Amino acid sequence: MKKYILKRLVTTIFTLLVILLVLFILMHLMPGSPFNDEKLNSDQRAALYAKYGLDQPIVVQFFRYVVNMLHGDFGVSYNISKNTPISQLIQSRLPISMQIGGCAVALGAVVGLLLGLLAAFKHDTIWDTLATIISVIGVSVPSYVFALALSYQLGFKWGLFPMLYRADHAFDSAVMPSIALSMFTMASIARFTRSEMLEVLGSEYMLLAESKGLSGSSLIFKHALRNALIPIITVLAPLIVDLMTGSLVVEKIFAIPGVGSLLVNAIQSNDYNVVIALSFIYSAMYIFIMLIVDILYGIVDPRIRLAKEG
Amino acid sequence: MKRRLLAFIMTSAMALSLVGCGGYNQTNTQAAAPASDSAESASASDSSASGESAAGSSSDLNVMLETPVESLDPQQATDGTSFEVIADYTDGLMQMDSDGQAVNALAESYELSDDGLTYTFHIRDDANWSNGTPVTAADFVFGWQRAVDPEVASEYAYMLSDIGQIKNAAEIISGEKDKSELGVTAVDDKTLTVELNAPVSYFLSLMYFPTFYPVNEEFFNTCPDTYGTSPETTLSNGAFILDSYEPAATAFHLTKNADYYDAANVQLSGLNYQVIQDSQQALMSYQAGDLDLTLVNGEQVDQVKDDPAFKAVGAGYLWYVSPNIDSVPELNNLNIRKALTMAIDRDSITAGVLKDGSKPTYTAVPMDFAAGPDGSDFSADQDKFSDVCKFDSAAAADYWNKGLEELGIKSLELDMIVDADDAPQKVAQVLKEQWETTLPGFTVNLVIEPKKQRVKDMQDGNFQIGLTRWGPDYADPMTYLGMWVTNNSNNYGLWSNADYDSIIAECTTGDLATDAKARWSKLYDAEKIVMDEAVIFPLYTQCNAEMVNTNVSGIDFHPVALNRVYKAAKKN
Amino acid sequence: MEIRPLANTGEALENSSAPEYTPEAKDFCLRNSETIAIDNNFAAQSYWKEVVLRYVSKKSAMIGLFFIVLITVMAIIGPGMNDYSYSAQNLLQKNFAPRIPFLEGLGLFNGSETISTTTGFKTINYYAEQGLSDIYYWFGSDNFGRDIWTRTWSGARVSLIIAVAAAVIDMLIGMSYGLISGYFGGKVDIFMQRILEIANGIPRLVIVTLLLLVLKPGMVTIVIALMLTEWMSMSRIARAEMLKLKEEEFVLASRTLGAGSFFIIFKEILPNIIGPIITQVMFSIPTAIFTEAFLSFVGLGIPVPQCSLGSLISEGFNSFTTHPYQIIPPIIVMALLMLSFNLTADGLREALDPKLKER
Repeated sequence: MKKYILKRLVTTIFTLLVILLVLFILMHLMPGSPFNDEKLNSDQRAALYAKYGLDQPIVVQFFRYVVNMLHGDFGVSYNISKNTPISQLIQSRLPISMQIGGCAVALGAVVGLLLGLLAAFKHDTIWDTLATIISVIGVSVPSYVFALALSYQLGFKWGLFPMLYRADHAFDSAVMPSIALSMFTMASIARFTRSEMLEVLGSEYMLLAESKGLSGSSLIFKHALRNALIPIITVLAPLIVDLMTGSLVVEKIFAIPGVGSLLVNAIQSNDYNVVIALSFIYSAMYIFIMLIVDILYGIVDPRIRLAKEG
Repeated sequence: MKRRLLAFIMTSAMALSLVGCGGYNQTNTQAAAPASDSAESASASDSSASGESAAGSSSDLNVMLETPVESLDPQQATDGTSFEVIADYTDGLMQMDSDGQAVNALAESYELSDDGLTYTFHIRDDANWSNGTPVTAADFVFGWQRAVDPEVASEYAYMLSDIGQIKNAAEIISGEKDKSELGVTAVDDKTLTVELNAPVSYFLSLMYFPTFYPVNEEFFNTCPDTYGTSPETTLSNGAFILDSYEPAATAFHLTKNADYYDAANVQLSGLNYQVIQDSQQALMSYQAGDLDLTLVNGEQVDQVKDDPAFKAVGAGYLWYVSPNIDSVPELNNLNIRKALTMAIDRDSITAGVLKDGSKPTYTAVPMDFAAGPDGSDFSADQDKFSDVCKFDSAAAADYWNKGLEELGIKSLELDMIVDADDAPQKVAQVLKEQWETTLPGFTVNLVIEPKKQRVKDMQDGNFQIGLTRWGPDYADPMTYLGMWVTNNSNNYGLWSNADYDSIIAECTTGDLATDAKARWSKLYDAEKIVMDEAVIFPLYTQCNAEMVNTNVSGIDFHPVALNRVYKAAKKN
Repeated sequence: MEIRPLANTGEALENSSAPEYTPEAKDFCLRNSETIAIDNNFAAQSYWKEVVLRYVSKKSAMIGLFFIVLITVMAIIGPGMNDYSYSAQNLLQKNFAPRIPFLEGLGLFNGSETISTTTGFKTINYYAEQGLSDIYYWFGSDNFGRDIWTRTWSGARVSLIIAVAAAVIDMLIGMSYGLISGYFGGKVDIFMQRILEIANGIPRLVIVTLLLLVLKPGMVTIVIALMLTEWMSMSRIARAEMLKLKEEEFVLASRTLGAGSFFIIFKEILPNIIGPIITQVMFSIPTAIFTEAFLSFVGLGIPVPQCSLGSLISEGFNSFTTHPYQIIPPIIVMALLMLSFNLTADGLREALDPKLKER
């Protein structure tokens, strides 16, 4: 197992480098430039290109970027927040996105799991249908509509939570965005838990366990849930990364200083360094979480571990 | 089976509550970190636990911004939001009065030489930076040299060269001369002289433009890389002091500057800015009392139009359609262009779709930003070009058929590039509909692009029709008319007319530059050429629909340079 | 297996009169085959017929199917049911609340709406104000005076096409990729997973926006963009299922009998994991519709004035607090569509899965 993890870590670094290169190439393919303001003439644009070293060949830019990155320097923003070091931009924003995303994941996963289990155990009853309807609403109403509705009712009408993000009330401010964000996770998890649990409950080994006299929580947690968890984790993992790296719409509506809106603005205004840095953080998080998932597979399901070691 | 289920539900409910608590407790401690980071912001705002009232003491003005600040470096900033905030805490030589006229600010007095080429400014003695050092002429020299320094690569460098006509500015920008040769000199601590290449009639109105603001060299050198990224790296000489800010922050705060030379006339205790990108959320916050000043979207006007707090504020932008005259042969045909501009029902665009108070415009220079020698608005008369620019579907169809005949075609299909923003997309959809219903055989395909890409396509001439806008940089019609001269980088359609070029040259640097009246009437002649030739199809002068709380007064709204000035604002 | 050959052998027996006996094939058939009780019904039923029977017997699944069919039919005929077109504007008749013949007599949908303004509530009826007694916008009109009924169904049409295209591609590419990667394991798996990681590690938004910037925006571009990004989650599911199943005895048995990898993957394992796959496909449909809706939200969706359910929701969103009726029809259609896809998916999964047969 240790050897396996070590091997994965080495390949991870290689993968990240490839991703960085791909991102660089993508940025170069991107039409437009960061300095496409109406008021700039071509001489000024050339001067700006030279100032930021964008006039050099992509290979040179790439190596310079990697070297700088190893020193913790991700470059500066070209137009979202002019000349601000990216690390400074992200440092203050990423924790906020991660906090809200983390809450949303926890909320979505737990509620989704419960809904899914309820639906599976009460298969083909009104509970099942109800759980289905709840989770379907979760996936079919876009989060921004949901967010605004929440804000209108809980924030504006009832005054329970602040409508806009406030750093001095970080906890209160996080409640509504987390709920709005968790809907999709909740729905996905509920659906998958249901379908996986039905599968597991219908399997022979559950029948065996049941006929052996096992019952209650031991049956559910030791046998049923454990086997259903693999695909659930698989579904959950990328959702975690998506949520932790911020959501444009929810950030926009609740005025949250997170990284999701930063990425979209950066893409639309060709702020290369911001796009690359944020995408890279996303990639690193993604790959890291996938690594953990793969390790978890091994823990949850010994057969996979054996297969890998063999 | 039943017991098993019950047991399961119990356990899972427990699990939920455990995880739930764990999750939120953790959240709480995590949240403590950013909260303490912004303790400074919180200090200015005595916060109530329920989060109902907005941050800020009662006479802080709570202002909504649509976009975050891009830069607080006066020589790097280019957007209205940044300008507004920079001007909150920095004064230039001149500031804007409530009518948009330049009035003395840091300059106590000034003299203009008889040939109109040399300005001498005398800086007031009681002007100080917030770290205690006096504001000197050298601060202006340093700031202005930064503006033209190719290493700084300021996007607004042309304000000093092409527009301000400051001596040697153009040569420095192009790298031919050193920045020390710029035509600004600090004669002594309090005297600044500026040499111009040619008389510039609107030069004083440039002095309130943030690119011309002073920067203290000594302070700048303590934080050259991080200048303007935090309260610690900004220096104030204006009515307010920035006391909480982060790059691209969604909320920040300014406090009244007690040492400001004009502090007695500043009524507000501070400014509390909040960036809200969703206008419905902004309106709800306004209704909840968290904001005193907010923008509303055209769609919400139905909700607020009976409210005394609602007003339409001129934003200065002229929105227009630019046909690619040079490379699309069909658009090279004058009749086709006339047909296109006359088929547009501008009133229905502003009243029916935008609804934010924007004014239909039939002139190449928008309304309400440039007042002439007699004080009247350059574009007050909107009917003066009604023979070539008005809504007349019959005339449009006539021109259209004539044009098609000349070209020998039966139908025409063109692409129009449009920004992927809300208002342009709305306008474009109406244009498409109006053109296609009025002009038989005409098909317009809307190509929606992010703004940067749209601008690039237009700059590269890679378009057929483009929907675009232009905001005035200074209060003179030249900021618009100067665009249509041959080879101007904003003359996207590559239209060229020798008569026009000579009029503009005459009005910029020629004989007329000092004779305001004659220049004004010549500018009308120039505008007439643009309209007669249908070089652009003007659409409307943009206004913003704003809610200004009725207990707030004295905010100055301007269409040029500084959109909102709070120096005289009062909140009861 | 059919019974007719047996009947023929019966006749043959009666007619045989040869003295010398040579064993024939028919001798190895069952005796008294006519009289023993063979369940004609059961044997005559093919697997697929059974699937259909099982599916039809499930009420919720049939409701789901009914709505999918209904929405599909409406997406085809709905826009033609009145005289409005999806793009024709009438700026004099904008923001009209829904008004439906017959129902208006009951006080429902009579074209009046209550707007919550900053100065209190007010009720208006533009139809009455403008004296338009014979104008009906069944779902109301939007802020360009376009008929929301027509736009909702044309939007449903666009969204359905995008969703189905995405789901099919999703299934084909993602499933094969995941199954192959999971089955072969080892180096192949590591290599394929690295590619997936790289493709996945780049935020989807970056890829999609870039593609839309490079290609001309439109339905085909959106489908291509979805194709490039959506297959990945499917491949993850398929791989996870494969890892779970490939050590099972029946796979071993099949391999021992000499089955090739291709056969094992697609004939042995695939039918066993069709449940989660179909569930995932049904989820990739909302994801596809949503990705498109998100693109509309950032202004890169289906080009205006065309519309999709997603872009209609984004458009209606701007009037959410002013004219809420504008966002409701597309949301309801979207929710119904999602619900029916889910119910259908559940029904299909249970009908297809032989293990769940007895339940």
